[in-house]
Amino acid sequence: MSVTTADSTSADSPSNDEAQRIKPPLLPPLLRYILIRIGISLLLIWGVTIVTFLLTNLVPTDPVAAILGDRAAADPEIVAQTRERLGLDEPLIVQYFTYLSNLLQGDMGVSNQTRTPVLQSIGQVFPASIELGIGAILISVIIGLMLGLASALNQNRFLDHAIRTLSLIGISAPTFWIAAVGYYVFFFKLRVVPGAGRLDPWLQPPPRVTGLYTVDSLLAGQMSTFVNAFGHLILPSCVLALFTIGLLTRFSRSSVLDIIRLDYVTAAKAKGLPARTVIFKYIFRGALVPIITVVGLAFGSLLSGAVLTETVFAWNGLGQYAFRGATTLDLPVIMGVGLVIGVVYILVNFIVDLIYGFVDPRVRVR
Amino acid sequence: MKVRLPRRALAIGSALALTFGLAACSGGDKGGGESGDTIVAETAFNLKTIDPHRQFEFTGSTIDNAIYQTALKFKDGDLTKPTDGLCSYELSDNDKKMTLTLKEKDAKFSNGDPVTVDDIVFSFKRLQGLKGNPSFFLDGVTVKKVDDESLELISKSPNPALPYILPNSSIGIVNSKVVKENDGSTDADDGAEAFLNENSQGSGPYKVDTYNADSKVVLTANEHYNGPEPKFKRVVLRNVAAETQLTDIQSGQAQVAFDLNADQVKSIDESMGEISSLPSTRSLYIFNNTDEKIGGPAADPNFRKAVMSAIDYDKLIDLAGEGSQRMASLVPNEFIGAVDKDKAPERDLEKTKKLLKKAGYNGEKIPFHYSSDQAVNGVDLAQLAQTLQAQLKEADINLALKPAPSSTQLDGFRSAKQPMGIGTWGADFPDPTNYNVFTPGGSVAERVNWAKDADPKLAKLAKTAGKAKGEDRDAAYAKLFQATTDTGVWIPLVQPVSTIAVGSSISKYVSNADVSFDFAKAE
Repeated sequence: MSVTTADSTSADSPSNDEAQRIKPPLLPPLLRYILIRIGISLLLIWGVTIVTFLLTNLVPTDPVAAILGDRAAADPEIVAQTRERLGLDEPLIVQYFTYLSNLLQGDMGVSNQTRTPVLQSIGQVFPASIELGIGAILISVIIGLMLGLASALNQNRFLDHAIRTLSLIGISAPTFWIAAVGYYVFFFKLRVVPGAGRLDPWLQPPPRVTGLYTVDSLLAGQMSTFVNAFGHLILPSCVLALFTIGLLTRFSRSSVLDIIRLDYVTAAKAKGLPARTVIFKYIFRGALVPIITVVGLAFGSLLSGAVLTETVFAWNGLGQYAFRGATTLDLPVIMGVGLVIGVVYILVNFIVDLIYGFVDPRVRVR
Repeated sequence: MKVRLPRRALAIGSALALTFGLAACSGGDKGGGESGDTIVAETAFNLKTIDPHRQFEFTGSTIDNAIYQTALKFKDGDLTKPTDGLCSYELSDNDKKMTLTLKEKDAKFSNGDPVTVDDIVFSFKRLQGLKGNPSFFLDGVTVKKVDDESLELISKSPNPALPYILPNSSIGIVNSKVVKENDGSTDADDGAEAFLNENSQGSGPYKVDTYNADSKVVLTANEHYNGPEPKFKRVVLRNVAAETQLTDIQSGQAQVAFDLNADQVKSIDESMGEISSLPSTRSLYIFNNTDEKIGGPAADPNFRKAVMSAIDYDKLIDLAGEGSQRMASLVPNEFIGAVDKDKAPERDLEKTKKLLKKAGYNGEKIPFHYSSDQAVNGVDLAQLAQTLQAQLKEADINLALKPAPSSTQLDGFRSAKQPMGIGTWGADFPDPTNYNVFTPGGSVAERVNWAKDADPKLAKLAKTAGKAKGEDRDAAYAKLFQATTDTGVWIPLVQPVSTIAVGSSISKYVSNADVSFDFAKAE
């Protein structure tokens, strides 16, 4: 029966036979994978422009009054002129396309409050947040992964419970409070870190190359400025890292516990390989792939969520810039920051996807 | 499973620890910089610009006070007596013509150019022509050069407030020649703002060195200043939150902090800093919409008076901190035209009960609007609203709190659609005419639908006050604003206190209601 069926199929449909033959793909799987991801990312960025534009423009308040202030806003003629100058008298759809067209030419508009181009301001504050974000992510990855690993390897023992409790505190403690207490204890009481800001106020920033004071001071050979900038980075980075440390600890613990039970780990142990080799080459490496996602997303959230930390430490980065834009209803600033943060998230996801594609071949042919 | 850290990890760990240790030691490292000739001042920025003819906020004003000289000034912070600045002045009998004569003939701008009458005329005209927020200062005034020594300001109607207006830092005198060369003009086409932000053109003790509206403004001494050379050659004004300002003052990281509230001030030890307390020129009040459709019970005069007598003002003073004052009207106690604070409303719950009965109020909830993100001289408006809600509840008056961010709240207030809420007013200049906006038909009165013809008695008092001269003005305006308070449309709550914390590294300083902190006079 089964033979007959097979025979008849093969005899009756030669075209199907042809279809079943595997055609060589037009593009190599990895390249195809990358192009699809780029396409998705561009679509997402376009989506972000629509969302930020709509959300910002649907706020039930008049930005013109916020821009002009009480006195000037009392004059209808000045209000009308300002509305016209800012293009706010146009229909929303026209405003959106003007915004998009300007954006494609690299113009994010001018801050209504400070009259400074938004792109220029973001260019100034973004490196500050990047520097803080990198510091925080380095601390988080080192401590979070080590604690997660130690916790998993000591499952249900005292150390495990202690680490899990600590990670819970890290996740749930309010950042603003931690920052204020940290500043008081480590700067004011113990004097082991310098005060707020990115440099001591009487110091000149190093000549700008990257905007990262630690890097630029090294490039300029200004060691004392480097030490000062690095010192200022420590406490805010640690405060900002606390949440991510908690997150990474819990995630890496569960990831390691998943791997530790797999057959190849048991086999490695059975072969008598040293514990260190089993842990770092078999367990940890296996657990690392899903952790990459968390690290990537954490970096994005560090950049966007640093508002409170930046406020306490007078760290004039993207967070503070966004806060000021929001409180003064500075629409170009709000849209600019929203877009930048959105793009960072999309880029991080894109990079994580790429890493997956490289590391795990199954992903790219899915 | 026992784990030993690999040697590589140990080496990396040690290197990191060493670097962290080194960096931590940099707490006291000056990094090759000089801190002795620098004042570090901290405030939460509300900076838009330092172009004097456009700025209208505290931060810009603080900076421009140090950069620009003005035609007139208040000597030693006495806001009741304007005195000579760059010019001396004379006001005609009908208060319509003011003649300014250049007095400081050796005054020089930061590039060495002398200050001339042409610069003063240009500055006044530019302020008017830009149609910006402070342009109203010289509304209805014609500016005319007489000769190289003097100029005239002709007002359409009597303008006795003009001498009180001219000391404002928004009317700072700029170097007209340089400003014109950099797209400056006396009309709305002026394009010199960006230039003036980065290259100030004043004749004050300082000039701008670095300008960043988001983070920091650095000033350096103006070598051509005709007054005494400032002891501190640099001023660094940083954008710092109030919580951090407190720690920075206590640690010596900063020398001046502008935004501490009453509780924070209490925590400063004498050895770490000193507090300079000045009466604030801001007023906090409750507004009541007079339109019944919008205000509901708040539109009823009896209800408004009931609210006025239900408030425990002593507790509001405690909330605002030591040095804050009771107010009998919205005019600050130090201004002419202020109502004696002994006449301020008192709590009387029996009276409240009777008035509520008269008003027919049955405990319905009244939306109460305020800015949830704003503090005025350290008085948190959210906290004030909650306190008022609790106090009025004791008199069976129910407020439904409606917090909103400042921009949204102000928008609602401006559109005259809020029944009741907390308002704030900062004096633009220390003269009672600045409070005419609160009398019927005034620009702020319109926000509570209080029309010009709503109260003939007030209209008559306003007319009399407008005509009063010299010392009579004080009494006439006090009468007007006492009557304005009696209506209960505005319920004055408290005049807060402006506190400035000064670090112990500064031994001598001048701080007054005019310039808040004088960087040039600090030692």
